[in-house]
Amino acid sequence: MTDPAAQPDLAAHHEASWREGVKTGAPSLFGIGAWGLVVGVAMIKSGLTVPQALGMTLLVFAGSAQLASLPLIAAAAPIWVIFATALVVNLRFVIFSALLAPHFASLPWYKRLALGYTAGDMTVALFLQRYPSVEPEAGKLSFLKGLLHPNWLSWQVGSIAGIFLGNQVPMEWGLGFAGTLAIICILVPMVASKPALCGVLVAAAVSVLAAGLPYKLGLLAAVLVGMVTAMAVEEIGAKKANKHV
Amino acid sequence: MSDLEIWITIAALAIATAITRSGFWLVGHHVNIPTRVNEMLRYAPSCALAAIVGPDLLMNPGSLAIDVVNPKLVAGLASIGWYLFRRNMLETIVFGMLLFTALRLLHLF
Repeated sequence: MTDPAAQPDLAAHHEASWREGVKTGAPSLFGIGAWGLVVGVAMIKSGLTVPQALGMTLLVFAGSAQLASLPLIAAAAPIWVIFATALVVNLRFVIFSALLAPHFASLPWYKRLALGYTAGDMTVALFLQRYPSVEPEAGKLSFLKGLLHPNWLSWQVGSIAGIFLGNQVPMEWGLGFAGTLAIICILVPMVASKPALCGVLVAAAVSVLAAGLPYKLGLLAAVLVGMVTAMAVEEIGAKKANKHV
Repeated sequence: MSDLEIWITIAALAIATAITRSGFWLVGHHVNIPTRVNEMLRYAPSCALAAIVGPDLLMNPGSLAIDVVNPKLVAGLASIGWYLFRRNMLETIVFGMLLFTALRLLHLF
């Protein structure tokens, strides 16, 4: 780039950034695959046929919403109830997409649709660690794709394996715990400041206390209370710093 | 549910994914988020991740289990320590799964 006034081309493939994205996401793939396996097994155990389960994992691609819908499908709940449940379970993605979408506002709509559709919890967290600012930057999109594509693939491989293994994987193995461990590893480096630490601890506490709420509303409550806590701690810290100056 | 009803449900779930995950990507630039809210949203991903792992570590299905005989809690805390020490995700997952499985099978406590 010899012309400093030129806007970086967001959409151009940037090999180094793509590799960096793959490298950043690679350690979490085992956990994602194990989690997919658990959801795959759960779909079969709840009574879906193999084609239905395959259709669900390929089309829906949202583990927690899938898990939430299974008992409702088994109980023959009305479709609109299942739809509303999935919306609520997925509400955290609205917050995530509000953070991620401004980075890629210049792309055509179908690309934005596809990127948003495939961006789950861990991808968003890892991307925002690397690119906290929304300024256009060459290689951003390639980095995101380097996170998204292997993530999608390992989820689907795990899930499809789970569908075909069906009843042969005992639930007591607790393979889903690998997904929890992967999240812990992503979470720890994010908790580098006092406000973030307070927010995370409060969010975890609220998620446990509110776990009885239906439709995973406890998760949403935990995110909201955690965010407000972090913000309050940040502001108290800033006020104290001002007094001392 | 009939086969057709289940497929309609799957389609509805796919639409739910699209609305929540892609909605903002499609119409977000028409929405102005206040600066304060934007600042707060920075903490959303870490809080959401904490809220996902919290119940898995601290609860047996349905009830609180904050004690040393909860293998997930022990393995989870040990894994946080391992990660802080080694800074390697895959190693931490393998370590955590081995410890969790050992605790579960051996009933060490």
